[in-house]
Amino acid sequence: MSIMEYNGAAVVAMVGKNCVAIASDTRLGQQAMTIDTNFQKVFPVTDKTMIGMAGLATDVLTLRDRFRYKVNMYKLKEERTIEPQTFAHMVSAALYEKRFGPYFIEPVIAGMDKRNQPFICSMDTIGCINFAKDFVVAGNAGGGLYGMCESLWEPDLEPEDLFETISQALLNAVDRNALSGWGAVVHIITPDQVITRQLKSRMLDWADPTVKDKAVRYTRL
Amino acid sequence: MDARIDLNNIGFDFDLTKRNAGLEANGATAPKATKTGTTIVGLLFKDGLVLGADTRATEGPIVADKNCEKIHYIAPNMYCCGAGTAADTEFTTNMISSQMELHRMSTGRESRVVTAMTLLKQYLFRHQGHISAALVLGGFDVTGPHLYTIYPHGSTDKLPYVTMGSGSLAAMSIFESRWRSDMERQEAIDLVKDAIEAGIFNDLGSGSNVDVCVIEKGKVDYLRNYARPNERAQKEQSYKFPRGTTAVLKTSIRDLVQVTEDTAMDIST
Amino acid sequence: MECLMGLVGKDFVITVTDTMAIRSITVLKHDEDKTRELNPHTLISYCGEAGDTTNFAEYVQKNVKLYGIRNNIELTPGATANFVRRELADSLRTRSAYQVNLLVSGYDHKKGPCLYWIDHLSALAQVPFAAHGYCAYYCISLMDRHYHPDISLDEAMGLIRQCLEELHRRFIINMPRFVAKVVDKDGIRVIDL
Repeated sequence: MSIMEYNGAAVVAMVGKNCVAIASDTRLGQQAMTIDTNFQKVFPVTDKTMIGMAGLATDVLTLRDRFRYKVNMYKLKEERTIEPQTFAHMVSAALYEKRFGPYFIEPVIAGMDKRNQPFICSMDTIGCINFAKDFVVAGNAGGGLYGMCESLWEPDLEPEDLFETISQALLNAVDRNALSGWGAVVHIITPDQVITRQLKSRMLDWADPTVKDKAVRYTRL
Repeated sequence: MDARIDLNNIGFDFDLTKRNAGLEANGATAPKATKTGTTIVGLLFKDGLVLGADTRATEGPIVADKNCEKIHYIAPNMYCCGAGTAADTEFTTNMISSQMELHRMSTGRESRVVTAMTLLKQYLFRHQGHISAALVLGGFDVTGPHLYTIYPHGSTDKLPYVTMGSGSLAAMSIFESRWRSDMERQEAIDLVKDAIEAGIFNDLGSGSNVDVCVIEKGKVDYLRNYARPNERAQKEQSYKFPRGTTAVLKTSIRDLVQVTEDTAMDIST
Repeated sequence: MECLMGLVGKDFVITVTDTMAIRSITVLKHDEDKTRELNPHTLISYCGEAGDTTNFAEYVQKNVKLYGIRNNIELTPGATANFVRRELADSLRTRSAYQVNLLVSGYDHKKGPCLYWIDHLSALAQVPFAAHGYCAYYCISLMDRHYHPDISLDEAMGLIRQCLEELHRRFIINMPRFVAKVVDKDGIRVIDL
C-alpha cells in the first residue's frame, strides 16, 4: 500500500481563455472504507489563486493551515497580495525543506496573476514544479486524468466550456478509480468572478427530493 | 523554538522523518519523486561548448512534463544540465547560481566554471549522494571553455565530450563515432542534437524535444526546443461538450471588485 | 479491537463506546469509560494504544478546560476538534507519537450538533456518522443505509442497537457492554442502550 493511496484523491487544473479552472473529488477514505464524502481538497489562497492538494489527508490539512499562515505573513510584510507564481515557489520551497522526510501531498495551483494571465502548475511531493500551459493533474486518478485531459482539453476555452471540459475529465477519470470520487467540486476563476460548482456524481444527494431509494446511488445519475 | 511558526528556518528539516519511518514500518511505501529520466550531453568545439538536453520528466511510467527545462542557468557565462531527481537538480543549481551571483558581487569579476564546479561537488559530497543530482556543467570564463560532469556523490570529470542520465549510453555512442576536436559551431550543434535524439528515441526515460545551449566567449545562445521531433498531430475533431452536459448540484459565485489605478474617486476638479 | 461510534441527529449527537480494557489476549476491565468531557457541550471518545489514549485525552481535556477558565468562554466543538487535531499532528512529528483515534462530538449553540472524526494520522473530517476500529467495517454500512439528517433520538437509538446486534452476531470479539452518551443543548448525559 502506498501512503499516497491511503485516503484517496483526484485533483486537476486547466487553463482556458482568460480563465483557469481547478477541480477535485470530495472523498476521504481510510483505504477501501469511505469516511467522508464532503472532504475539501481545494482551498482559496487569494481572491484569484487556489491550491488543491492530493495525498495524505492529515498533510492536506496541516499544509492548508501552514500556507494560510505564510500567505498572511507575506501580505503583512509586503503589503500586497501574493501572485500565483510567487505562491508556487513558496509551496515548492516549503516542500523541499522536507526533502528527506516529505509531506505526502502533490499540490496543484491555479490562479490569475495581476495582469490577469492564467497560471497553473503542479508539484511532486518534494516540490519539483511542473509549469504547464494546458493542464495539470494529481492524485490516485492521475493516470486516468492525464488520459482524459489529453483528449478533451483544447486551447482558448471560454469559462463555461472550460467548466464542461474539466468536469467531464474529472468525473470520468474518478469513475474508473476506486479510491476517489463520491462528489466533486469545480472552481472557475476569471478576472472578475470565482464560480464554484458542486457536481452531481456517483453518490447520494440528501438534498435532492427525487432521491427516494438510496439504491439509486449505484447507477450513474 | 517551536518549528511550526519558524519561517526563517534554513536548510533541510527532518521532523517528518520519524513519522514517515513509523508509517513505513506499518507497511506504507513512500511515493516516487519526479525523475528527469533524461539524456543530457555536452561537448567542446572550436570556439566554445554546446550543452544539450531532452525535455521529458517522468514519475514512474507516467510522463509528468512533456516539455520541461533541464538546462539551468548558473551565471551569464555558465549553464548546467541536470539529471536525476528533478527537485534536487532544480534546487541545487538554483542555490549554486545565487551563491555565484553573490560571489560576483563581492569580487566584481566574472564567474569561473571551476568555482561553480567546486561549490557543487562540495555540496553534493556533504550530502553523501542523498541529493541525487547528476550534472553536466559548462561555461566560458577568462581561462577558456570548460566542461565538467558532476556525480551525485560529488566526484567530477573534465572531458571534451560527456553524456549523463539514463540516455547517456545512447548519446555517447553518437559522440564516440562522430566527435572530433575543433569542430565548427553548426557541426557541433548538429552532433549534440543527434546525440539527444538518440536518447529520445532509444531510452524510454527520455523524450519530447531537444534543448541546446551554445556558450562561446562573451556570448550565450539558449536554443529552447531547437528540434521538436515528436510534434503531436493536430486533433481532427473537437471534443468540446455542449454547455449543460454536466449536472450541477449547487453553484455559488463570488464577484471580485476590480481595482483600477486611476482617479475614479477624484472629485477635486 | 475497540469500538467507537458516533451519529449526529436532528438536535443531538450520540457516541457509543465499548467498555473493555484489553492487554494482549486478556480483558483487564469491563467498565472502562473511553470518553472524556472537555466542556459542558463537548465530548471526546477515543481508542488506540493503551496509555496513549487516556494520556492524550486527559491532556486535551485539561487544556480545553484551561482555555474556558482563562477566557471565560468555552471553545466551540469545531475549535476543539481543530485543537485536538493540531496537538495530535504535532505529536506525530516527535519521537513519542500518540497512537490514538478520536471522535469529537459536541453541541454548538449556533450551528447545532456536530461530530468530528480524527484518525491516528490526525486527519480530521466533520461527518454525519462515524466509527473507529474493526467495528467500523460492520457499522458504517448500516449507518449509511439507514441514516438521514433529521433522524430522531429514538430512531437513532434503534440504529445504534442494530449496529451492536450486528457486532454481536458477526464480530469475533465478544463485547458485552457498551456506553452511549448524548450531547445536546442541555449538555452531556448517559443514555440507556
